[in-house]
Parts: sequence; structure tokens; C-alpha cells
Amino acid sequence: MEISGMRKAGTALTVVGLAGLALVYWLSFFWVSTELSQGVAQRIFYVHVPAAWTAFLAFGISALCSAMYLWLRDERFDQAALSAAEGGMFFATIMLTTGPLWGRIAWGTYWTWEPRLTLTLLLWFIFLGYFMVRSSTENPEKGKRFAAVVAIVGALDIPFIHVSVLWFRSLHPQPVVIRPDSGPSLPGDMLTLLLTSLGVFTLLFAGLFVLRYALEGLRRELDVRARGAAA
Amino acid sequence: MNKLKTVMSAFLTPPLLALSASAAAAQEMPGAAMAEQSLRPYWHVFIAYAIAILLVLGWVLSIGKRLKDVEERLGQ
Amino acid sequence: MSLYLRQVRAIVWKDLLLELRTRERIAAMAAFAVLAGVLFNYALDTARVAPQDVAAGLVWMTIVFGGLLGVGRTFYLEAQDGAMQGVLMSPAPKDAVYLGKTLANFALLFPVALLVLLVFTLFFGLDLGSSPSILVLALALGALGFVALATLFAAVSTGTHMGETLLPILVFPLLVPMVIYGVGATGRILIGRPVSEVAGNVRMLGAFALVALAAGAIFFRFVVED
Repeated sequence: MEISGMRKAGTALTVVGLAGLALVYWLSFFWVSTELSQGVAQRIFYVHVPAAWTAFLAFGISALCSAMYLWLRDERFDQAALSAAEGGMFFATIMLTTGPLWGRIAWGTYWTWEPRLTLTLLLWFIFLGYFMVRSSTENPEKGKRFAAVVAIVGALDIPFIHVSVLWFRSLHPQPVVIRPDSGPSLPGDMLTLLLTSLGVFTLLFAGLFVLRYALEGLRRELDVRARGAAA
Repeated sequence: MNKLKTVMSAFLTPPLLALSASAAAAQEMPGAAMAEQSLRPYWHVFIAYAIAILLVLGWVLSIGKRLKDVEERLGQ
Repeated sequence: MSLYLRQVRAIVWKDLLLELRTRERIAAMAAFAVLAGVLFNYALDTARVAPQDVAAGLVWMTIVFGGLLGVGRTFYLEAQDGAMQGVLMSPAPKDAVYLGKTLANFALLFPVALLVLLVFTLFFGLDLGSSPSILVLALALGALGFVALATLFAAVSTGTHMGETLLPILVFPLLVPMVIYGVGATGRILIGRPVSEVAGNVRMLGAFALVALAAGAIFFRFVVED
């Protein structure tokens, strides 16, 4: 697709996504019923869970595109990997800040080494490394390769992290862990809102991802033009 | 409609409770402590939703700004 | 195949010979291990905390930090005088270079890991628990997994202007599972639990080391290509 076309599509998706987000906020403030056992704090889940899902989706896309970049050496895969990684950082930050806010109410403590929270924290740091490697290489080509290796090895590490944090927890059981009921056991309106929110976050990510990708495309155009002027 | 009213009142309660809490604090501690206890989840929900929207808008604005910069330089 | 092994051996030999002549890295790591043991002794109130309960975690942390000290400089000399070009232009495939470098690092780190264990048993008056051989096996697999990852990322960090400062940021998040398995195994052996209890942990350490080695051998070529 042409860059201008991508810009338009990305903008449209983002606008729809932002409107959807406003709807989700309105619904979770004024429409959805309050969960009985956890009270008001349960509402945090309507942003926490979709943010977590989006972050994992974004990091997954980034690792996949990184592998494709190393394999095919097509700049566009690196641009996609970078765009997705940036989104992943934002959504993982949402997940990591809203989680403890809920945990303080439900578990009585801001931080527990809950497996999914731990995994997200480690992924956040792995992708922090991804950006640091990119920004600390003089030769951008090199930075792209380094970053791709960081993303892929990070993705390979996920199963190990997952199993290890689960085992660790089974060794040291948490005192009280109230888990949110998920899936069909969630009352109708809550499930509706959660699914809506999941869709909205995904849409928002898709729109911003396309825009961010278009931005990289424009930057490359600028590069090419600057090089042409220099030659 | 009824539901809307209850939820509206739920979200109008925090500031009102905060007022009464500060009033109660002037008179006796237990009342203030109790008010604080029941207010806490509301504050956490507000902060969580605020963080989420700020980060999303932050990303939107940062992409928008960078796009504008690059397009300006391309236009020259 | 035998050619490949000879190439790996040549790299290992070159690195070990260099180390034998200077003894810089191994001396730094060994001194670090002993000093960390001294510091931990004062950081802990051993009258209130039973050493067996915390020793496993301290042993692994010391190995990881000390290891970074030595492994971070894997490519330092070569990067300084441009010898890396020579190594990479040699007919040896890149994965052979990586495996050679990693094995040489392992040959440095494993003795240090044993020294760490010795120092902590001495300083904290530990006994080696139910199975010293499994303890050593866990340390060996952990050291292997560590050098496999750290060597790959030492090549990355050497190529950036942040250098070794970047290495812990890249490696620590990836090492978390290894430390969890390692501490789990070591801790339970030190307090005298049966070996069967730690079999799963030791197996996961082995799997971690294998995957890390394979990933390093596959991706090293993308890091060092020019």
C-alpha cells in the first residue's frame, strides 16, 4: 500500500478506536454492574486485561517480524517490528500500572509475583533492551540486527519464564489470590464490556501501528532523498 | 434509567465523601478512617483509567508530532 | 565434522591461552567471588537468618554478577585491536566461533562457580547437603546456560557504544528462569532434601542451557556480520 493510503487508513482506524475507547470508558463508568465480591475495583479489569492482550499481541508481532527481517532482510519487516515493539511498551506499561492498582484492593498488596504480571515485567525489560540496543549503535543497520536478535531470543525465553514463575509460585503459595472469573462464568454485561474493550484496544493498536509504520516509511523516504541530495 | 442513577451516584459519591471525610476528620478520627477505606477503590479505578487514557493519548500525540515533523521536512 | 570440532577447539585454545598468559578475567572473577562472600557475611545477620536458607540465592547471584564481569569482556580484546575481523574472516563458520568462545568462557566460569560454592560453604559453615554431585551438576548446567546467553549478548553490547553497561540490561531478564530453577535445585539440596525433588529443576536447567546454546549458535552470525 502507498504510504499516504496507509496514513489515511491508520488515521481512520485510530479515530474509530479512540471513539471506541470513549464508549468503553462510558460503559464501564455508567453501564456495567458492579461485581459483588470485588466491588468497584473490579472495573480496572476493563482496561487491564485488554492492555495485557494488546501488549502480548504487539510483542509477538515484533518478534515475528524481527525473525522475518533477519531471514529476508526486507527493511519493512524491521519497521513493522519497531512499530509493534513501541506499541507493546505502551500497552505493557498500562498493564503493569493498572494491575497493581487493582491488586492493592483485591490482594491487599501492590505487587505480587503473579506469573502473568512477572512475565509482562520481564518482557517490558527485554524490549527496553530492544530500544537501548537500537539507539546505542552508530550504524543503524547493525542496530536493527542486534534488536532483532534481542526480540527473538526474548520470545524464545517466554516458555522458560512462564514455567519457572509458575513453579516458583507453587513453592511459595500466595496467601489469598482472588482470581477474576473469566470466560462464560462472567455475568453477561461484564463479558460484553470486556469483549468490547478487547476489540477496541486491538483496533486502536492496529490503527496506531499502521500510522507508526507509515511514519517509518516516510523517514526512509527522507533518508533516501537526503542521500540522493548528497550524491 | 434506575441503574444509571445508581452508578451516577456511585461516581458522585467520592467527592462528596471526600468532603464529608475532611469534615469528619475535623471531629473524630474513626469516621475519617472509615471514609478513606471505602473511597480507596474509587481512587484506584480513577487512577487506573487515567493512566490508560494518558498513555494511549501520549502514543497518539507522539506519533502525530513525529509524522508532522517528517512530512514538513519532506515538503521542503 | 571433525574439521568443525577442530575449528571450535582452535578458538577455545586461543582464548584460553590468552587468558593463561594474562589471567585477567579469571583473577577478577575469583576475587569478586571471595569479596562478595565477605560482603554477604556482613550483609546478613547470621544469628537470625539460617545460612542454608539463603545461601542458594547468594551463590547464584554471585555467579551471575561475577560471570558478567568476565564474560562481558569476551570480545573486548578483539574489538580493541581489530582482531575480530581476522577471527571472522577465517574459514571457521560463525557458529564454530560462537561455540568456541562460549566453551572458553565456560572453562573460566565453571571453576569460579565451584569457588563460589567453596567460599560460601567455608564462610557460612554450610554442609553440601544431600547430593554434592547433583549440586555440582546444577552449577555446571547453570554456568553453561549463563555463558551461552552472555557470550551472544556480549557480542551485541561490544558492538554498541554503551559497551558492557548494556549487558546486564539485556541478559538479566532472560536469566530469570535459569536463576529460579538453579536456586530451587541448590536450595533444596543444601537443606538436605532428596535428589528426586530437584530432578525437574535440573532438567529444566539442562533444557535452558541447550536452547540458549542453540539460539546463540544460530543468531551469532547476525550479530557479527558486517
